[in-house]
Amino acid sequence: MSEYTVVGQKVARVDAVEKVTGAAQYGADVHPPGMLYGKIVRSKQAHANILSIDTSEAEKLPGVRAIITQDDVPSGRRVFATDKVLYLGEPLAAVAASDPDIAEEAAELIKIEYEVLPVVQDVMEAIKPSAPRLHGDDTKDGPNRREISTQIRKLSRDKENDHSNEISKLEAELEDYPDEVYYNISAESHSDAGDVEKGFAESDVVVEDTYVIPRVHQTYMEPHVSVASADSSGKITVWASTQGPFAIRSGIAGTLGIPLTQINVIGTTMGGGFGGRFGVIITHIPAVLLSQKTGRPVRVQMTREEEFTDGRPAPGCVIKLKTGATKDGHILAREALAFWDSGSVSGASIGSTIRVRGVYKIPNLKISAYGVHTNKSGTAAYRAPGAPQAIFAGESQLDEIAERIGMDPVKFRLMNMREEGDAIPAGAAEPKVGYKETLEAVADAAGWWDREVNENQGWGVAVGDWTNGCGPGGVYVSVHEDGSVRIFHGSMDITGTDTAISQIIAEILTVPYESVTIRRGDTDSAPYSTGSGGSVVTFTMGNTAKLAAEDAHRRILELASERLNMNVDNLELRDGEVHVISADPPKSISLGELAAYSLSTTGGPIVGKGSFARQPSTPALAAQIAKVEVDPDTGRTRVLKLVASQDVGFAINPMAVEGQIEGGTVQGYAWAMMEEMQYGEEGNINPGFVDYRVPTSADLPTVESVIVEVPAPNGPYGAKGVGEPPITPTLATMANAVKDAVGVRINELPIKPEKVVDALKNNGHGA
Amino acid sequence: MAKHSVSLTVNGDEHDLLIEPRKTLLAVLRDTIGLTGTKEGCSTGDCGACTVIVDGKAVTSCMVLGVTASGKEITTIEGLASDGELHPVQQAFINTGGYQCGFCTPGFIMASKVLLDENPNRSEEEFRHALGGNICRCTGYTKILEAILQAAEEIR
Repeated sequence: MSEYTVVGQKVARVDAVEKVTGAAQYGADVHPPGMLYGKIVRSKQAHANILSIDTSEAEKLPGVRAIITQDDVPSGRRVFATDKVLYLGEPLAAVAASDPDIAEEAAELIKIEYEVLPVVQDVMEAIKPSAPRLHGDDTKDGPNRREISTQIRKLSRDKENDHSNEISKLEAELEDYPDEVYYNISAESHSDAGDVEKGFAESDVVVEDTYVIPRVHQTYMEPHVSVASADSSGKITVWASTQGPFAIRSGIAGTLGIPLTQINVIGTTMGGGFGGRFGVIITHIPAVLLSQKTGRPVRVQMTREEEFTDGRPAPGCVIKLKTGATKDGHILAREALAFWDSGSVSGASIGSTIRVRGVYKIPNLKISAYGVHTNKSGTAAYRAPGAPQAIFAGESQLDEIAERIGMDPVKFRLMNMREEGDAIPAGAAEPKVGYKETLEAVADAAGWWDREVNENQGWGVAVGDWTNGCGPGGVYVSVHEDGSVRIFHGSMDITGTDTAISQIIAEILTVPYESVTIRRGDTDSAPYSTGSGGSVVTFTMGNTAKLAAEDAHRRILELASERLNMNVDNLELRDGEVHVISADPPKSISLGELAAYSLSTTGGPIVGKGSFARQPSTPALAAQIAKVEVDPDTGRTRVLKLVASQDVGFAINPMAVEGQIEGGTVQGYAWAMMEEMQYGEEGNINPGFVDYRVPTSADLPTVESVIVEVPAPNGPYGAKGVGEPPITPTLATMANAVKDAVGVRINELPIKPEKVVDALKNNGHGA
Repeated sequence: MAKHSVSLTVNGDEHDLLIEPRKTLLAVLRDTIGLTGTKEGCSTGDCGACTVIVDGKAVTSCMVLGVTASGKEITTIEGLASDGELHPVQQAFINTGGYQCGFCTPGFIMASKVLLDENPNRSEEEFRHALGGNICRCTGYTKILEAILQAAEEIR
């Protein structure tokens, strides 16, 4: 039996009724009077010089109210391309019209003359000396070719184990250009610990491989949208579907040179984000510019196709990884070289390559990672940005080692996992985390220890770690005369965080969950709040809410002390009433009575304030096991069982936590088995749900979730961020299960049936 | 563009409208009538977010021209609850946590309602396949299936 009455309970979400009745207002549901419809004019080439933009025909179309290009950006900050486009779908202009179909027609009437340039879409092509250069000399400060050449060669000694022709082709080409500086490298990141060369030399088994992970789209169901309204005084209101209204406010201010106080951002209910809904350029800036020009509210809404061509998806990458271990199962060294596909701008999560270290005691570690430019849109965060890619490589390779030394994959992981106080390679000391508990929990729940296997069936296991972020936030709590409690804050609800905040406050003020309501303010009214991403909200806003409720609690006792003429030490808040401890007969006063009384006191109404910015977070682990059946003739993989456990610290709302585990695991499954943004010379070639398949309910069975609770010292009630970890291990879980089922290892995702068939053919199947 | 006269019954209310032939039923519901509960997720009939009920059948309203819906009876998510009582499917989505961001939820609820009207005795596997035209990106479908099974129980 829990010591708590509201936190830890599966309560219905605060937004339940509005979400199931269609009443919730999302971005595209906002329709101020006189609103115009915006449309962005996009490049039809993936790489080209712009010779001219002719808007004259479009301007003549009845209903067109404004057409803007980069010339209409007073600050001069780049919003639209001018002389050169770097990817298919890059914005060149925008139109506002009285009707969405007219806006679309007008966009088509704008004539753009291109001088087409050679295109490069593949990272391993883009780093070749012969590749087209995206940014001319702008990125000339990159590393020397000799440096990368040496790294690639060092990692490629064990040619027999690495089937990647790409790498050897690259090596050959790099040989010819030893001293040149790279052009398409946008960023680099390096870290090391110990001495990997020594570690490999002492290892009995060394495995190396190249892993290729595709670019995938977050595919939130609500496409990007914003409605902007600039009034004649210059005040700008933006209704934005975003994870971070305050970030959008400062983004607009910075990009357009407008003071913060002139911008109010109203966050609308968000139709999914997963990290991809922070950017300011995509729709918000064009909407503001069009509204400024027309003096009317303007909505800019992306289509699904535009999401695929000009969204900010998760970067794909190529990771070359090498691991050494002793024959009794101790991992001694690991070295990684990664090339991340940043697209046309820098910003891919290359630092996450460090995640190949996993949660293991690896004394010797060396990581080098590079961001590479290609003719694609830029990238953004997607649920534990960078971790699923790196962990796919790390956890796939661990299974290969386990197989070679003949150890059970779960036991091998358990044996190498770090414990409290162990050194984190290239990091600090490990705090108390339920690594082993989480892996053991999933193994027990899945039936790993006595697993049955029929022909063509197999089991796969993997783990993934992630640590929630933290950021500033503020919360106010008011207690009203009827005893009800109202919360006010500025953080976007992301899959139940408003509910968690409400639960925490109800718990502290000892009132029923139903008597608490929560309101989100806009950036004009609410205290600053960090964006809802990085699994921060429950950790940050939970702590903030706790402080606010404790502040209100203090005032409540103070009022009761005054009212009952009793020392605070003799008072206790319980069941929504302040009781006099050990009074006989019992004596108490309700919260409602105190709130009414407060109105005529010197101290005034009950208002609790919480303000919080930072406390160290604790890592979380997700562990998953899949049982699959692979048809060797068609290569099709069917999931028979998928079990996911996670150390969540403390589940404030177990129903919401299970939902996060289930949803994240299925996104990981999709990355492993189905999803891939495909690019040709012409740019993205699968910009829709027919060609970019995401899972439906028909694709896989029920995900079984297992909650493990090893409290985080600084989390509210011990809670950790839960949103991101569950996507991190699934890619490897699936690859390991397929390998176990039919003996072929697929290192290039997604594991499409044809790849399995090809690999089986190479293994002699059906010959 | 010339407009056509169209007469629709939406959630029991009659609407006589003048609409352009290129406007979809989804656009008519959202922009002309102002019922924004029905969502636009892909505009190509692939995600199911815009599912409404037309003469008893689940239809992706982005794939239907408004003019062709003339004379038909349409139910949207706003018309599902009656007399302040949620429909059992709506209640089940709340009870099980069958939604997260909620954007696909109206479509799922409308599709589920038609499936349950047709036959509430389907197995879980049958419901899984029958709901294959609707995409949810948040839940992984586990709790959506729980919701429809719970609603089926309630209705039977």
